[in-house]
Amino acid sequence: MADQPTLWDQPDEQAAPAAPRPTPRILRVTDLNRRVRSLLDADSILADVWVEGEVSQPSFPPSGHCFFTLKDANSQVRAALFREELARAVVRPEHGMNVIIHGRVRAYEPQGVYQLYVESITPAGAGDLHARYEALRRELAAAGLFDDSRKRPIPRWPRRIGVVTSPVGAVWRDITNVLRRRYPLVELVFSPSVVQGATAAPAVVRALQRLYAQDGIDTVILARGGGSLEDLWCFNDERVVRAVSDAPVPIIVGVGHESDTTLADFAADLRAPTPSAAAELATPDGTQLPTILGRLRDRATAALLGRAADQRRFVEAEQRALVRLSPDIGAARQRTADLIDRGGRALDDRLDRRRMLLAASHDALRTLSPTATLERGYAVARRPDGRILRDATSVNAGDPLQVILARGTVETRVEKTNGDGTEDLFK
Amino acid sequence: MIDDAKLAVLTDDELAKHPFDELVIALQQTVQRLEAGSTGLEESIELYKQGLRLHSACEARLKKAELAITELGRRGVTGAEPDEA
Repeated sequence: MADQPTLWDQPDEQAAPAAPRPTPRILRVTDLNRRVRSLLDADSILADVWVEGEVSQPSFPPSGHCFFTLKDANSQVRAALFREELARAVVRPEHGMNVIIHGRVRAYEPQGVYQLYVESITPAGAGDLHARYEALRRELAAAGLFDDSRKRPIPRWPRRIGVVTSPVGAVWRDITNVLRRRYPLVELVFSPSVVQGATAAPAVVRALQRLYAQDGIDTVILARGGGSLEDLWCFNDERVVRAVSDAPVPIIVGVGHESDTTLADFAADLRAPTPSAAAELATPDGTQLPTILGRLRDRATAALLGRAADQRRFVEAEQRALVRLSPDIGAARQRTADLIDRGGRALDDRLDRRRMLLAASHDALRTLSPTATLERGYAVARRPDGRILRDATSVNAGDPLQVILARGTVETRVEKTNGDGTEDLFK
Repeated sequence: MIDDAKLAVLTDDELAKHPFDELVIALQQTVQRLEAGSTGLEESIELYKQGLRLHSACEARLKKAELAITELGRRGVTGAEPDEA
């Protein structure tokens, strides 16, 4: 068999001059089919065709592929939809379904048939995907599903976040990575779902509803990585869009890339450009928290220091008042002696109580001496009238200030004031 | 929420088990009360101590935070491959 001439290694020019009447060349079946195949493969139109027709007798063998006949009133052609394309398909072929198929025509040599190899299959009749998308978008917008007034704010400090996405692939991993780095204080409730193909829409709806049935979820994230319009199609399915708009808690949708906007995005409380961005939008930046906490502690220390200084001035004033009163105390003592004679000791008792109060204040002051705090690098700014400066709005540029340091004081003037103290702590 | 009465009876360990956001809000409110300057010296000292406890509790929570994940449903039913339904 091997030495027989074949179509390929015996060109016509060599065989032609040998005999006046050429002997018919005998081809093997394999050669015939190969020639037909190469002819079809060379045709640029057949390599990239769009065909509309009706699906007939689809079969789904255990291999996971799908085979069917595509026909119209006069003709039919065999079609093959392999497992990977089937998983991505917007619809699952059904008998009698009118479809538009994009694919290529090739010969299947072992059986000597040509068939349509399907790359994508979409329902015909309702027009193409873009037209259906637009029609549904208008319908749902008219029903108010996309209204800005329905958008709820995303909780700033979530404790539990629900996530619906595929358990395989990079998206789930990206989301957990972002949250581990950014805000590991949160608990994730993962509700996995198929996110592409004909079964995706009901699966996503089920996964969302499983989350909605959970208690204490603060925010829901619905996410999927990038893909073709067909890949992302389930996020344009009315059931999914309605499930998103029915979310009992704020929901963030992050599907595909920056440029992909699905109807589910419109129905969400917040649209994220990517799944990772959804995770970021759902949480505060935990890497800033140590700084924010440190700033709060410093403010508490500064406030207490100010309080102690106030108290010292109060006690000093009391002391001066007491000094002014001393002659009267002497006189009072004289009178008291008389009063004691008559059995009255009330006034003396009152004076004793006052002294005890003063002594107690002194003790408290000692324990609270600002010196230790000043030694740590804090300073107290005082105005000429001796009042402590706490609020930048109470001074103007050019006002003189005295800055008390751990050792010595500095006389200075205000250059410029910033802020009014009403800023939000966590912005 | 964490109020003064609750803070008075909680141990530091119990305090550190509270939700992080509650701890931060309590700390924030404590600082604001101190800054308002309407509290007496004794009360200010108490508030300050309270603020330090809340600050430590927040730091403790941050330090040992580990992303917790709960998964709903079964993988077999909800895997990536389309089911035959």
